Amino acid sequence: MKRRFLLVVSLVMVFALAVPLFAQSYDPMSFKSKKPMSQWKIALVPKDATNAWFVRMEVGVKQFAKDTGINAFQKGPAKTDAAMQAQVIEDLIAQGVDAICVVPVDPAALEPVLGLALSRGIVVIDHEGASQQNCLYDIEAFSNQGLGQTIMVELAKMMGEKGVYTTMVGNVTNASHNEWADAGVAYAKAHYPNMTLLAAEPRVEIMDNLDTAYERAKELFKKYPNLKGIFGTSSLSSPGVARAIEELGLKGKAFVTSVGLPNENKVYLKDGTLQSVLLWDPRDAGYAQLAMAVKILKGEKIENGCNLTAPGWTSMQFAPGSTKVLQGKGWITITKDNVDSFGF
Amino acid sequence: MISLRRITKRSEPYVLAAIILLSLLIQVRSGQFFSGNNLVDLARSLIVPALFSVGCMMVIVSGGIDVSFPAIASLAMYVTDKLLLASNYSGNVILAYAISAGLGLLMGALNGFLIGFLRLPTLVVTLGTSSLYTGLMFGAFSASASDVPPSIAKHGKEILFTATNPTMGLTSNMPSQILILIAVLILAFFLLRYTMLGRGIYAIGGDETAAERAGFNVRGIKMFLYCFVGVLAGITGIARISMMSYADPSTMLGMEMTVIAAVVLGGTRVTGGMGTLTGTILGVALMTILSNSLILIGIPTYWTRVFTGAVIIIGTGVTAHQTISTRRRRAQSQKAAA
Repeated sequence: MKRRFLLVVSLVMVFALAVPLFAQSYDPMSFKSKKPMSQWKIALVPKDATNAWFVRMEVGVKQFAKDTGINAFQKGPAKTDAAMQAQVIEDLIAQGVDAICVVPVDPAALEPVLGLALSRGIVVIDHEGASQQNCLYDIEAFSNQGLGQTIMVELAKMMGEKGVYTTMVGNVTNASHNEWADAGVAYAKAHYPNMTLLAAEPRVEIMDNLDTAYERAKELFKKYPNLKGIFGTSSLSSPGVARAIEELGLKGKAFVTSVGLPNENKVYLKDGTLQSVLLWDPRDAGYAQLAMAVKILKGEKIENGCNLTAPGWTSMQFAPGSTKVLQGKGWITITKDNVDSFGF
Repeated sequence: MISLRRITKRSEPYVLAAIILLSLLIQVRSGQFFSGNNLVDLARSLIVPALFSVGCMMVIVSGGIDVSFPAIASLAMYVTDKLLLASNYSGNVILAYAISAGLGLLMGALNGFLIGFLRLPTLVVTLGTSSLYTGLMFGAFSASASDVPPSIAKHGKEILFTATNPTMGLTSNMPSQILILIAVLILAFFLLRYTMLGRGIYAIGGDETAAERAGFNVRGIKMFLYCFVGVLAGITGIARISMMSYADPSTMLGMEMTVIAAVVLGGTRVTGGMGTLTGTILGVALMTILSNSLILIGIPTYWTRVFTGAVIIIGTGVTAHQTISTRRRRAQSQKAAA
C-alpha cells in the first residue's frame, strides 16, 4: 500500500518535471485545426464558477455557441483558488479540447499546466493575465493603464482631488488588479498633487471575498482616521467597502470606487454611499475570448485592428512593445442614473 | 484549591495569555483595540467561526473529524434562500432558520449514518459528503451569488446596540445574531456537562470500546453528533448571509481549516477525549483577533500570511507539545508503578 503510494507520488513528480517550466515560444499560425469546425471543443475557464461576474461571462459563452454552432462551454473551479483552477484545466486537457480560454487566478501558478496544453497543440487564450508566458495571446477589454487611470479619475472626482487614499486588490498575486492600481497611483502622482498614497498600507488584499473587503475597510478607517478614499479593483471591493462606510457613519466623508456589477452596488449607488463604479461587460469578454480562439483554430493571422465581434472588442490593438497582449476599448461608468439599465 | 501545576497543564491559560499579549500589542500600535466599536467589530466577526467551532469541537472530542460543515452550511442556506425568494415569503426569519436547520439535519444525518452505522472513517466520509454537497450546490442548483429575501434582509438590519468611538466618531453595530451564538453556547455547555449524551461524547473519544462496554450507545451518540453539527451548520449559514444581506455560496467554503485550527489551538486534543468550550471560544477569539487586526498592528499586506501561519504553527505546536509531554509523564508513572 505504502509502496504503491510512493510509486504514484514519484510518477506524478516525474511528469511534473517533464512539463516545460519555461515558456517555449509557439507560432500561433501552427495551431490551425485540421478538424472540421463542427468537431471543435472550446472551453472557457473562469476564476470562480459562482461569482456573478463569471455567471454573466457564461451568458456570452452560450451566446457564442448559439451564434456559431461551435461546441463552446464554460467550466470553472467552485471557488477562487489557483490550485483548483489548474485542476480544472488538467481535466480539460485530458478531455481533449481544442482550445482553452482562461481568466487566471494567478498566472504564475498556471504556467506549468498551460505549458502542457500548448505542447499538446491546444490553443491557449488568456484574459486578464497579461503576465502569462504560456499562452498564445492575452486579450484585455482595455489597457490596464487606461482602466487604472479611469478609476483614479473617478476617485479623485469624489475626493475633491485631495486627501489620503489607498489601493485594494483581490489578491496580491492578481496581475491585472495590481497593474490597474499601479497605473492609478502613477496617474495620481502626476495629476493630483494634493492626493497622497497611504504609505503604511499602500496595497490591501481582500482575498476576493466581500466580507474580507468589509472587514479590511473597517480596520483601515479605524487605524488611519485621515484616510479619505479607497481605490478598489475587484468587483467585490465597492459593495464591501460601501457597507463599512455606511456602518461606520462615514457616508460623504470616505469614498470608494472599483470595477463593479450593477446589481451588487445598486443599493449603495441609490443611497449615495457610492457615486459610481466602472464596468466592462463580462458577457462581451467571454464572447471575445471564444472569437479569438476560433480565429486561431481557423489559422487567421492576428494583427492590429482585428475584430473579435463583441461590442468594444471590434478593433483590438497590441499593447505597446508586446506581440501577445491585445487590448480593446470601452468601459462604462455606472451611476445611480443608469444602474437599472443593464439587466444584471 | 486548583494547583498551579494543574493550571499550567491546560492550554486555556496559554491561549488567554496570547490573546492578552496580542490585544496589548494592538492597543500600543493603534490605540484602537479597547475602543467600543473595535470590540463590537471583533464580536461580529467572531459569530460565524464560533458557531461552527462548537460542533467541530464536539466531533473532535468524540475522536472524529468533520470537514463538511461549511459545505452543509452553504447548501442549506442557499436552498433556503432560493426557496424563500421563489415563494415571495416575507414573514418571520424563524422560518428561514427552521428550513436551513432542517436541511442541515438531513445532510448531517447522512454523515452520521455512514460514520455511526457503517463505521466508515470520519475524515473520508466528511471529505466525500463535503464534495457531494458543494457539487450539488454548484451542479444541480448551479448556485451563484444571490440577493436575500426580505425576511433575511430585515433580520440582517436588526442590531442590539451601536458602539461609538468617542475620539473618531466611528460607529459599529452589534448584530442580533450574537444572541444565537450565546444560546448555542449555553445549550452546548449543558449538553456536554450535564447529560449522559454529553459525557458519552467524551467517553467514546477517550476509548470507544471501553465506552461501548460501559453501556454507551456509541452508534446513537455518533448519529446525534453529526445531526447536531448539521443543524448548527444550517443555522450558521442563515446567520452569515443575513449579516451581509448577500448570499454568496462560496463565502464559507474553506473555513473548515481555520475553524479546526482554532479548535485545536483552544486545547482540544485531535486524538479525542479532551476539549472544552472555553478553550474553543478562546481559540476562535485568538484567530479572529489576529485576522482582523493585522492592519491595526501595521503589518503590510505582503506579510500577513507569514504572520498568521507563524501564529498557527506556534499555537498548535504548544498544544501538541503538551499532549506529548502528558503522555510521556503518564507512561513514566506507569512504568514506575510496574
